Amino acid sequence: MNEEQQLKLQAFLDGELPEREAREILAWTQRDGAAAALLAELKNTRQALVKSEPHLSVPESRDFFWSKIEREIQRLEPETARTPDASLFAGLRRWFFPAVALGALVIAGLIAYLNTPKTVVDGVADADTTTVETTLASADATTYRDAGEGTTLVWFSDDTTAIN
Amino acid sequence: MKFLTMTRLVCAALFFLLFAVVTAHAGDGTMKLEAQLVVGSNDPQTKGKPVSPQIERKLKRLPLKWGSYFVVSSQQFSLAQDESKALVLGGSDLVVKYIGRERVELTLVNRGKISQSLHQDQTLVTNVKDENSFIVLRQVN
Repeated sequence: MNEEQQLKLQAFLDGELPEREAREILAWTQRDGAAAALLAELKNTRQALVKSEPHLSVPESRDFFWSKIEREIQRLEPETARTPDASLFAGLRRWFFPAVALGALVIAGLIAYLNTPKTVVDGVADADTTTVETTLASADATTYRDAGEGTTLVWFSDDTTAIN
Repeated sequence: MKFLTMTRLVCAALFFLLFAVVTAHAGDGTMKLEAQLVVGSNDPQTKGKPVSPQIERKLKRLPLKWGSYFVVSSQQFSLAQDESKALVLGGSDLVVKYIGRERVELTLVNRGKISQSLHQDQTLVTNVKDENSFIVLRQVN
């Protein structure tokens, strides 16, 4: 028996052959003892494989099984994440108070800015400086500053002879 | 805890608001000034009232050639911010203006203009037309 004949027997056992060819194979196995023995062996092997397959089953339905997992995940999540605090006071606390604080800060900043004199904006270093302007182009002025006593002397040029 | 933080934030904002308002009003105050016409002399017997010891000490530290100083006339006045006061001292026309933040502007007509901070301990001295005479300008309480 060649390999092709063995495959024909396997195909016959699996019901894959046309009816006419299947009748020929059946007649052949009745005539040939080796073919009949091989067919019997293949049948036994097939039955053994079917019986030995593990048959595992879940006691619950598939949907119920996954639903149970989902419920367990939700139970383990933090309480605050699942139940948002929707009270009026909570809303005030979250939005109103920060808005009031921010508004007050903006108003305070605006008031402080608008009421700052230009001399202050120009710089603190200029606050104590003395500026002198003479009316006549030919005139001159001399400034002497006594920092210890906080005295500033401005002497106009037409009287410079009075200074030591 | 979150509530306390928000309350503190609101209180801080209100504090800054109050501070800004108070600061703004502080800048609008008035300034009380004294302008003295002082004459310098090397003769201790010169007529007039001697200047106060405080003014005398200040004047004697300046590079002036006189040994004694006497008050010829004196005026005290208050100025609001941006308010001016016209004076005639020693034959000179003066205009004193408070420009805010304890800073004054002294204009000597036909001579010049001086801008100077005048805090409580500061004094501005400048000469006028009359010989040996000058103006002492300071803030008074």
